[in-house]
Amino acid sequence: MCAISSIVYARSLTKRYGAIEAVRGIDFSISAGECYGFLGVNGAGKTSTMKMIYCRIARTSGELGVLGMDPARDASRIKQRLGVVAQENALDPELDVVENLLLYASFFGVTGAAARRRADELLELVAISGKERALVRELSGGMKRRLVIARALVNDPDILVLDEPTTGLDPQARLLVWEKLTRLLERGLTLLLTTHYMEEAARLCNRVAVIDEGRILAEGQPSQLIERFAAQDVLELVDVGGRLPDDERLDGLVLRRERHGETQYLYTADNRVLLHRLAELGFDPPRHVARQATLEDVFLNITGRGLSE
Amino acid sequence: MNALTAFFTPNAWRVFRRNMLAWQKYAWSSVAINIVEPFAYFLALGFGLGAYFSLTGYGSLVQFMAPGFLGLTALNTATFDASWGCYERRVFNGVYESMVTAPVDPLEIAAGEYIWQAFRSVLYGSLFLAVIAGFGLVHSWWALLCPVMLALCGIVFAIPALLVSFVVKTQEHLFYYFSFVATPMVMIGGVFFPLDKFPHWALALAWLTPLYHAVKVFRSLVMGTVTASTGLEALWVIAAIVLLAFVPVRSIRARLAN
Repeated sequence: MCAISSIVYARSLTKRYGAIEAVRGIDFSISAGECYGFLGVNGAGKTSTMKMIYCRIARTSGELGVLGMDPARDASRIKQRLGVVAQENALDPELDVVENLLLYASFFGVTGAAARRRADELLELVAISGKERALVRELSGGMKRRLVIARALVNDPDILVLDEPTTGLDPQARLLVWEKLTRLLERGLTLLLTTHYMEEAARLCNRVAVIDEGRILAEGQPSQLIERFAAQDVLELVDVGGRLPDDERLDGLVLRRERHGETQYLYTADNRVLLHRLAELGFDPPRHVARQATLEDVFLNITGRGLSE
Repeated sequence: MNALTAFFTPNAWRVFRRNMLAWQKYAWSSVAINIVEPFAYFLALGFGLGAYFSLTGYGSLVQFMAPGFLGLTALNTATFDASWGCYERRVFNGVYESMVTAPVDPLEIAAGEYIWQAFRSVLYGSLFLAVIAGFGLVHSWWALLCPVMLALCGIVFAIPALLVSFVVKTQEHLFYYFSFVATPMVMIGGVFFPLDKFPHWALALAWLTPLYHAVKVFRSLVMGTVTASTGLEALWVIAAIVLLAFVPVRSIRARLAN
């Protein structure tokens, strides 16, 4: 993709902290209106990448363009048009909910009645209306996260950057955050997020980059990645020892095999066909899970380890 | 933008406003703490200890100490909040982290904190001034200029304290600054007793501290003994602000900037 048409792009981007190479030459290009996700475990280089994009840390080498500008030169102008949900909430615990929004808005030059109106709209959008005068410490984890999202939107940004938006939230709170982010996407906002939840990436992202040890190992639409690196279905077999028939006898039904610990993963086009064939061969798996392949499998197959490890 | 022009940016005043909003939630307890403690020392030393003697050439101890305590109040309030308070705001509460994610320059944050310390110093110092006026210890309308000097004191004491808060590894290390810098500065600052009998080297050391000059200004304003040299003492403090303001810039940028 051409750099001009993309809202964020990187070429051979690196970040080094002393001897540690956190980001080792990555390339990506994100278009306006897209939701682009970095999927990886802790320490993969996701946060460093995000911080370079939202001008919090300087890159070591390579090219980086955000909204047609260079973070090394135009940090202030880029920040003016970004919304940032950092990994740490960094809400002001000494201020109440509305004060947090109004103070932050003032830094973008949004003040007075306009700021007040914007704050009301955003609190309604993220469903925290009625808590205007609550101190931040009185909010639940999910509410804090939604307040940070509201805060990131006070300047009506062109891009919303979210570093692990739902880490540490319970499933219900996570669903609510996803719902709000989906609404923002529908309005045409560009979203850039990191996550180690494959479900989050699959649900929200148009495109995902699998990132590990500072490198992008694969990139594409979630469904494409699954097709390419996993298969339609997965049959997980627990503790089968050596009794499992080999690939030849399974008529090529198994597209890929992985083994992690006591679990064998058989990637196949259709679990029912595979199970049927196994039964014909007299193999009745004692404990198994038949499911669709997910980005988790993609990650497992590319990096050799799970996302949740 | 540099360390001085940052004072005149809208963002510096927004940072000031942020501290004001937070402070308003516990203003009364804060006022009480910042007034009661110096006042207790003032009463005990001035009237208790001072009852036993008078200072040759200066009158009563309580009269001598009254203007000195304006400088002491400014030093204490600015030093504590610019170090302990700013450390908390930066490290524990992430207040600055969200500011630098928005288009706020770290120097604007520092300037906002200095303005805030100027405000605190003016507020608590003026309350103390009202108290000593009530005791009949203020003898001149020149004393109405004390708040201006208090504001300058707030800034000049805040600058090194903020720098220290940016370089220490843990909050407890701030006590090194309190014990090795702030407290000795008070002892040689001419707050409690005249420095005429100090050896030359100690006097030279005192001359290097802003408190020494500030206290001289407060004493002239309160006693009505204002001369050209009072203006020079005030200029010393202003010059210190101008020079000191540039010292913490690298540390502040290193901790908060890109």
